[in-house]
Amino acid sequence: MRVLIIEDEVRLAENIAEVLRESGGYAVDIVFDGEEGLYMAESNPYDLILLDLMLPRMDGITVLQKLRGGDMDVPVLVLTARDEKEMIVTVLNAGADDYVTKPFDLGELLARAKALIRRGKGQRSPVLRVGDIEINTADHSVRRAGTLVSLLGMEYRVLEYMAHRPNTVVSKTELLEHLYDFNWERFSNVIEVYISGLRRKLDEGGSEKLIQTLRGQGYMIKR
Amino acid sequence: MTARRSIQGQLITAVIVSQLLLAGGLAALSMYSLRRQLRTAFDAGLQGRSMSIAALVRYSEDEPSKLMFDGELAPRPLDAKHPDAYKVYSSDGKFSAQSPNWKERFDRQTPRQFWHVTIGGTSYRAVRMAALPVLDSEGAGTPAPPTLTVIYAAPTEEMDELYASAGLYLGIGSLVLLAVTAGLALWGIRRGLFPLQALANSAASVSPVNWELQVSEEAQTTAELGPLTQAMTSMLRSLQKAFTQQREFLTNAAHELKTPVAILKSTLQSLLHRPRRSEEYRAGIEKALEDMARLEKLLHSMLRLARAEQWAMGNLQRDLPEIELGTTCQSAMERLQPFADMRGVKLEFANNGPVRMRADTEDLELVWANLLENAVRYSPAGETVRITVTNDEAGARVAVEDRGPGIPKEEVAKIFDRFHRGDQSRTRDTGGYGLGLAIANAIVETYGGTICVEATGEEGTTMAVRFSRKPLADSC
Repeated sequence: MRVLIIEDEVRLAENIAEVLRESGGYAVDIVFDGEEGLYMAESNPYDLILLDLMLPRMDGITVLQKLRGGDMDVPVLVLTARDEKEMIVTVLNAGADDYVTKPFDLGELLARAKALIRRGKGQRSPVLRVGDIEINTADHSVRRAGTLVSLLGMEYRVLEYMAHRPNTVVSKTELLEHLYDFNWERFSNVIEVYISGLRRKLDEGGSEKLIQTLRGQGYMIKR
Repeated sequence: MTARRSIQGQLITAVIVSQLLLAGGLAALSMYSLRRQLRTAFDAGLQGRSMSIAALVRYSEDEPSKLMFDGELAPRPLDAKHPDAYKVYSSDGKFSAQSPNWKERFDRQTPRQFWHVTIGGTSYRAVRMAALPVLDSEGAGTPAPPTLTVIYAAPTEEMDELYASAGLYLGIGSLVLLAVTAGLALWGIRRGLFPLQALANSAASVSPVNWELQVSEEAQTTAELGPLTQAMTSMLRSLQKAFTQQREFLTNAAHELKTPVAILKSTLQSLLHRPRRSEEYRAGIEKALEDMARLEKLLHSMLRLARAEQWAMGNLQRDLPEIELGTTCQSAMERLQPFADMRGVKLEFANNGPVRMRADTEDLELVWANLLENAVRYSPAGETVRITVTNDEAGARVAVEDRGPGIPKEEVAKIFDRFHRGDQSRTRDTGGYGLGLAIANAIVETYGGTICVEATGEEGTTMAVRFSRKPLADSC
């Protein structure tokens, strides 16, 4: 999952990013002003945007309105220091999915972020089920036929992303775009390494092959 | 509790006292004039009776040269108990007649024609009529007939009673009138004071939620209440301004504190969210301390601003030393030198002679330091920031010039607002909270100066502070 943070307070943005990366296993990009934030949001497929309201060059509400006006339905979580009712109504009416008021709790922010990503994929329960595989998005545990399977962080992220889209072909590029931020190197064979790792760990003892490769197109998980 | 003065009581007392004086004066005047009239009438009566007494003197039929008096024809006394007394005598001394009750004491040896005399407890008024001719024509033949003198006294009791009862009626009438008019005055004054009560009621309804003084139409149309309502309205306006300013400041301050608190909290939480090595904890605590320092700086600035604004509003008279303006500029420059060096910006100072004024050195240094910090922040590396002190008849002017990109038009009006941040100042490395220029503005106001953006454009910005000798029209 890839998250964009639009927040001009550097330290705050970095702290949020750290927790999202370490606890949520998300790829995180940070921008410090509204204009750049809008540009980034429009040109990359994010799974969630964390948006501050008081931003240089373009305020958060405007960014939000432009995003929604441009038919972008990415979930947006607003970070605001203002907690007056009018402000919250404005924020929600402008198209925000949720908000937290500063000073917020990073644990709460993470939980809300996860919930928004889930809902963004049309799923309400934190547990994803594909065949006999159970993926708990809250604690990142994976079970196959009730047996706990231990996965690497990136392996889990590839699996979660694909499990959100069962019966859909997911290309390598799409996976890269969603799992890596701009700070990370992009090598397409990294994905192949994680896919083979996943196959090895999940298909062990299973009757059916979970991940199918469609040559030249990508990968698919069948329900 | 001290006794309270009542306007109503004072007005009523004034009305009653003046009416008493008026009534007393009028009564005295009427009594005096009544007395004169009564006397005149009485005296005329006395004179008439004297004449009729004289008319009763005639020549004797036996001795033509002898005069006789026919007392039976004398007028009948008005008062049976105290009959009139009279005496008539001729100028040659051969004839004299008198009433039975005549006493020599009736005749007072006085040159005046009328006099008073009291006999047996009864007061009489008497007249002397001299040189009256003898009317009887029988003695006309005699050469140089004698003339008659009549002294006539009548009791004044009746006149005195009349006078006393007139006085009584006048007194009672005056008192009744006095009571009626005092009542009317009381009612009128009470009614006249209604608008004051109405005004008090509307003043009582003013609160921090409702600052509008609802002046009733009665109070509005009452001339005497004009200055009071005007003063109240303007007082309310300035109170409201101060109150709103304070409340705004509090809201702003609370709001601005949230961000640094959020940063500090997030630093600590991200440090705690998973187990770390001790060096990582150390680094994390250092970060938290940095966040703390920012929070502290913000708090300090807010307090400084609050104090300066209080001074500016209260026009506080402080005991201030005389200082030299240029010296404070140089001190501020020294303070900013490390920051300027870091940004690769040169600082220059120029002045055209010493300017002395009464001020707190620390205050002025803070103003110049804030202006310089701003100027350095916006200057590209390699450029120069100039601080210039000029002094002329109009007053002193301190200008800070930079070669920065200029302030956008729509921002110029707002840069002195508290917590206002221009776009650039909010970028990563500045860490400003938008208080520097607001503090500078408030301090300059404290000293009766003005601060403004004199010029701004692509070639840079000039911010100027003026302390004028005479109050100038807006110099910006």
